[in-house]
Amino acid sequence: MPNRSPLLEVRSLHVGFRIFEGHLRVLDGVTLSVHEGERVGLVGETGCGKTTTVKSVLRVLPMPPAKVTGGEILYRGRDVLKMHRHALHILRRQELTAIFQDPLQSLNPVFTIGSQLRDIVRDSMRTPEGKPLSRREIEARCIQALEETGMPDPARIMSNYPIQLSGGMRQRVCIAEALSTNARLLLADEPTTNLDVTIQDQILRKLDRLVDQKGASVLMITHSMGVVRDLTQRIYIMYAGSVVETGPTRQLLASPRHPYTEGLMASVPRLTGRGVSEGIPGRIPNYLAPPPGCRFHPRCPHRMPECSVEAPPMFDVGADQRAACYLYRRPSP
Amino acid sequence: MAKYISLRLLQSVFVLFGLSLLIFFIARVVPGDPARQALGLLASQEQVERVREQMHLNDPFPVQYYYWLRSLLRGDLGVSSYTRRPVTTDLRQYIPATLELILFATLISFIIGQVTGVLAGYFRNSWFDGASRLVSYLGIATPSFVIAILLLFVFSQLLKLAPGIGRIPIMMKAPPTRTGFMMIDGLLAGRLDVTLTALKHILLPAFSLAVIHIAQEGRITRTSIVETMQKDYITLHKVHGIRTGRILFKYLLRPSIIPTVTVMGLDFAFLMSNAFLVETVYMWPGFSRYAMTAMLNKDLNAIVAVVLVIGLTFALVNLLVDIIIMFLDPTVRLRQGGA
Repeated sequence: MPNRSPLLEVRSLHVGFRIFEGHLRVLDGVTLSVHEGERVGLVGETGCGKTTTVKSVLRVLPMPPAKVTGGEILYRGRDVLKMHRHALHILRRQELTAIFQDPLQSLNPVFTIGSQLRDIVRDSMRTPEGKPLSRREIEARCIQALEETGMPDPARIMSNYPIQLSGGMRQRVCIAEALSTNARLLLADEPTTNLDVTIQDQILRKLDRLVDQKGASVLMITHSMGVVRDLTQRIYIMYAGSVVETGPTRQLLASPRHPYTEGLMASVPRLTGRGVSEGIPGRIPNYLAPPPGCRFHPRCPHRMPECSVEAPPMFDVGADQRAACYLYRRPSP
Repeated sequence: MAKYISLRLLQSVFVLFGLSLLIFFIARVVPGDPARQALGLLASQEQVERVREQMHLNDPFPVQYYYWLRSLLRGDLGVSSYTRRPVTTDLRQYIPATLELILFATLISFIIGQVTGVLAGYFRNSWFDGASRLVSYLGIATPSFVIAILLLFVFSQLLKLAPGIGRIPIMMKAPPTRTGFMMIDGLLAGRLDVTLTALKHILLPAFSLAVIHIAQEGRITRTSIVETMQKDYITLHKVHGIRTGRILFKYLLRPSIIPTVTVMGLDFAFLMSNAFLVETVYMWPGFSRYAMTAMLNKDLNAIVAVVLVIGLTFALVNLLVDIIIMFLDPTVRLRQGGA
C-alpha cells in the first residue's frame, strides 16, 4: 500500500434514514480509503450499505430521509460533507465520476445519447486556457469517448435514444459519460450486475483498460468475488453497515480471517463442484434495531460474550490485512 | 413519425364513426317523432306523413343513417326549436366565444400550474410546497361558480379593477366577425381598443375556470417531478456536473410534464361542456350555456349538435395530445412508429 496520503478517505461514516417506523441506522462507522492510481473493491451482500456509502461520497443521498450522523469523507484532504455548493460542483466536474448498476435507469429516456453526453462535456470541460470548448471540440470529445468504449459507429449512437440501445450498449454509453471528462476517481456501483453474463466480461475488460489508460483510481462495488479478483488490488469486506475486513485482494481471498468473510467465501459456488454450499445461517439484521456490539454476532459461529457488548476495532491479521473481530485480539502482555 | 400520425388519424376516424352512430341513435331512436317536432302540434297528420317521407323517416335505419350523415357532412343540422335559427348558425356564433374563453383558461392553468408544480416538487416539503398544497386543495374543493361570483364581487364590484360581464361592453361596436375570437377579430380590424377591452373581460371568467385545473395539474406535475428526481439518471446528471438550471428545466421537466399534458387535454375538452356555470355568471355568450339551454328546452337538433361538437372536441384534443406527447417522449414515437 502506498504511503502517500489517500485520494479518498472515509472515516467512521455513520448514515441513517428517517422513516415512518423510526430511524434506520444503516452505515455504522464505515472507514475506507483509496489512494491515487489504486483500484479498491468494496464487497458485501445486497443491503449491506455499499451503495449508501458511494452515494454519500457523491453527496447525492436524498436528505431527508437520509442523514449523516457522524464521520467525515475527505477528498484530497477536504471534507466533502462540508463543501459548499460551488465547490461540490467543481469536485463533481473535475474529480469524481460514477457508473451505476442499472444501465436501463442510468440514461435519461427522453433525450438522445448525444444531447446528454454533450451537456456533460460542455458543462464540465474547459480548454487549458479555461475557456469553454467550441462546438466542434465538444462533438469530437463525445465521439472519442464513445469510441474508447468500443462502441461501433459512435456518430450514429449520438443521435439515438437510450431505448434504441441494448443493455450492454447503454452501459458502454454510461462508461463513456463517466470517463469523458477525465475524472480522477471512478465510483463503480456494480457496473455489470444487470448485464448478460456474456457481456459482463467484455465490459469489465474494457473498463479496466480505459481506467488504466486514464490513470484514474477506482472504487469498485460488487458482490462478485470474480470481479474483485480480476480488477482490484485491495478490498474491503462490508457487513451490515461497517467494514469487517480489509487487505490485499489475493491475500485476503486466499486466507479470509473474519468469520463473515470466511462464510462469504464458503458460499461462493465452485466449478470443481462440491455441491452447493450451506451459506451463512441467519440474515442481515434489521437496521431499525441492529444487534448491539458486533452486528455479525447473532450469526457468528465463534461468538464470545464481549461481541454483544462493544463492536470490535480492527486487529492486524496479516501483512496489510486487518479484521474487526475479537478472535484476533492480541493477548494482553 | 408520419406513419404514427396517420395511424392515429385513422383511429380518430373510427372514433368519429362510432360517435356518429351514437348520436344518430340519440336523434332517431329515442321516443318522439322528429317530423312532428319540426312541424309543431298544429300540423295535420298528412303533413307530418309527408315530412316523414321527405326526411326518410320511413326507410330502414341504415338508409336513414346514410341520409342523416350526408346532411351532417354538408353542415345541415336542422333548425333549433328554441332559437328558431339553423343550428349551424348558432354554433358558429357560440363556439368561438367558448373556445376563446377556455383556451385562455388553459393557458393560465398551464403557466401557473407548471411553475408552481415544478417549484413545489423541486423544493419538496418546503414552506412553498406546503402553501401550494393548501391552496390547491382549496381550489379543488371550491366549485368554479363560487370562485366566479367571488371574483366578480371583489374585482368588479369592490375594487372596480375589472369589467363585469360579457365579452365587450354593449355600447362598444364589435369588429366584423372573422374568426369569432374577439381579441383576434379586434386585431384583424386594426382596433387595438377592442382587443384590450376583450382581454380585460376575459380575465376573470378564464381565471375562475382555470383555478381547479391549476390546482390539479400543479399537483400532478409536482408528484411527477418528485418521482423523476429519484431516478438514477437525474442523480447521474448531477454527478456528471451538468448545470443545475439545465437539469431542472431540461432533464427534469421534460420527462415529468408528460402525464400533465394528457390531463390538460382532458381538462380542455371537459371545459367545453362544463363552463356553463361560469358563462352564466359572466353572461358569456358561449357554447356551454347554449348546450345547457338546449338540454333544458328539449331542443333535439341543438342537443345532437352539442353532443357532436363535444365528441369532436374530445377526439381532436386527444389526437393533439398524442402528437404532443410523441414529440416529448421518444419512447412512444419509436415504439409505435416502428423507428
